[in-house]
Amino acid sequence: MTLKVMSGNYAQSYAACLARVQVISAYPITPQTSIVEKLADLVASGELPAQFVKVESEHSAMQVCVSASALGARTYTATSSQGLLLMHELLHWAAGMRAPVVMGVVNRSVAPPWSLGADHADTMSQRDTGWIQFYAESNQEVLDTVLQAYRLAEDPAIRLPAMVSEDAFYLSHTLEPVEVPDQSLVDSFLPARDARAVLVPGVAARLGSFTGPQQYVEFRREVAKAMERVPEALRQIEKDYQSLTGRFHGGPVEYYRAGDAEAVLVTMGTMTTTARTVVDEMRAEGHRVGLAKLRLFRPFPATEIRELARRTDRIGVVDRSFTFGAAGAAATEVAAALYSGPHHPVLSNFIVGIGGREVTPNHIHAMFDRLLAGKGPEVQWMDLPLPPEEVAHG
Amino acid sequence: MGATLEIRFHGRGGQGAVVASELLAQAAFLDGKMPQSFPFFGVERRGAPVTAYTRIDDHPIGIRTSITTPDIVVVLESSLLRTQPVTDGLREDGLLLVNTRNPAEELMIPVPVRRAVVDANQIAVAHGLGSPTMPIVNTAVLGALVGASGVVSLKALDQAIDEFVPARRAENRAAAEDGYHAVHVVEANTPFTPPVPQAVGPTLSLPEGPVATLSSELIHTSAWRTLRPVIHLEKCTRCNFCWKFCPDDAFTFDEKGYPVVRAEYCKGCGICAVECPPRVIEMVEEA
Repeated sequence: MTLKVMSGNYAQSYAACLARVQVISAYPITPQTSIVEKLADLVASGELPAQFVKVESEHSAMQVCVSASALGARTYTATSSQGLLLMHELLHWAAGMRAPVVMGVVNRSVAPPWSLGADHADTMSQRDTGWIQFYAESNQEVLDTVLQAYRLAEDPAIRLPAMVSEDAFYLSHTLEPVEVPDQSLVDSFLPARDARAVLVPGVAARLGSFTGPQQYVEFRREVAKAMERVPEALRQIEKDYQSLTGRFHGGPVEYYRAGDAEAVLVTMGTMTTTARTVVDEMRAEGHRVGLAKLRLFRPFPATEIRELARRTDRIGVVDRSFTFGAAGAAATEVAAALYSGPHHPVLSNFIVGIGGREVTPNHIHAMFDRLLAGKGPEVQWMDLPLPPEEVAHG
Repeated sequence: MGATLEIRFHGRGGQGAVVASELLAQAAFLDGKMPQSFPFFGVERRGAPVTAYTRIDDHPIGIRTSITTPDIVVVLESSLLRTQPVTDGLREDGLLLVNTRNPAEELMIPVPVRRAVVDANQIAVAHGLGSPTMPIVNTAVLGALVGASGVVSLKALDQAIDEFVPARRAENRAAAEDGYHAVHVVEANTPFTPPVPQAVGPTLSLPEGPVATLSSELIHTSAWRTLRPVIHLEKCTRCNFCWKFCPDDAFTFDEKGYPVVRAEYCKGCGICAVECPPRVIEMVEEA
């Protein structure tokens, strides 16, 4: 184990390297990041014996990963914002063909207008593609999650692709200390991919070809069932990882001082770090507040959210994107999870941090104050010029 | 934030402000601290203003925002003092370090904090870092920062440069050493009113629709400029090549057809000077 100061992007690169990826494919131009630049260096220097396939678009990059994965290779790619949107069609292919591709995504705003700040609109737009989605809070969590994502994606009972998302700038370009596990430790956690269930050259077989309604439903149902197995598999994988590294990121949802909290904010990604500090400050002043960090967004951890609702009466969901015509994506999911559960706390949705706008301690304070004061508007956009704008749900 | 030391860098794309913030973080780590650093910039372009941040603490940093009330502000190019609000939020007991050849007493800043100056351009050029018109000053400035503040040890900075600077390591280490010795500090000497931190949030009026109703003529992009073209009109042939090759729209003409530079749009790229057939355009350093 070595402690190194590195960016979130390099945490992705080194994790892919430690996972001994065999095929990396990427479109190397904007909005590409230093993730694949570093991997290209590692391949060129011989440190990583993998094939790096440069292609003309993100769409093709995902096609290369899906095809290589179908032949049994462990594959990796990375992208961001518009690049992820261009990949959209192939994301469905990866999931439907049960290709356990792992992809790093730098969460950036979607144009127009052109912008490049942290924003979850790019990955939220892909939530229905059948990919497992992780959102990381720190560079350490990025590195650890990429390794865990391979174990999860390649689990024979799951076999689904997984994306590990990190906020632009607040992780992608942020340098901070990261513990890098030794290769031997990673090898014992993540063995080589089991290639039995994939295409074999010279043996006739088909993958993803035409299917009538007689079988299409069954194929889709298989994907749905695989998704349902993810939370339990992740818990086991994290246990194994913890026993090797001592680090634990909370499984599908990480709670922070939420056990006896009157008000809990449901957060994602880097806003959580700032929110932890605010929780500590408010706790010191006698306010019972806490956090529930959505580490996993697909599958959505509904069980954990219902459990949270059993213990707390006020839940605020913080979304770093907005689904036009509805509400924040996480808030919609939380509401849906709670409807069929026995506990129905007051629910508020805060829209904040879009397009890289900062999520400051003041914002977090304001959200807790609002929650503790009682029922507020269903959806509230924070940080707009006064007076605060309130948006009806739907 | 209490014990967290917060440092904000202001520079221009190409000067190495981002790398400076990263090297400082690496040096702090070598000193046994827990650093965090990150930049804010738009689309990459040489000469555009860039801001970068470094936090240093004994414990992991518990905040992920930009720095609005810095302990130290480092300015890699003095013309930014005119165009960027570099001293916004700077703490009363803070330090302002500027790369300039002028004395610290003559810095035009709105706050009477402790301040330090270093002629990092001269140091960088002496060590062959960058070009005389676009020197890469980050390591010289970092040396000066260590000399003025002791925020990290010179040994750690030297080691960080040796380990993480991609090229010309010996020259960069020497530049840091020179900056360390050359920095000149003057103490805060007049009463101080703490500046109000810059509000987070939009200061522009918000658009009401998808179409920008203002002309881009109103966007003055000359803040990027470090050089400006001077036309020796007595030898100008009025061929209009300067106007034709200007990637912006920074040339207009007087009534006799001679070119006139529209300074508010000129970014100082120097393409006109290269393309001018009689070579009568000279690029001179901004004062």
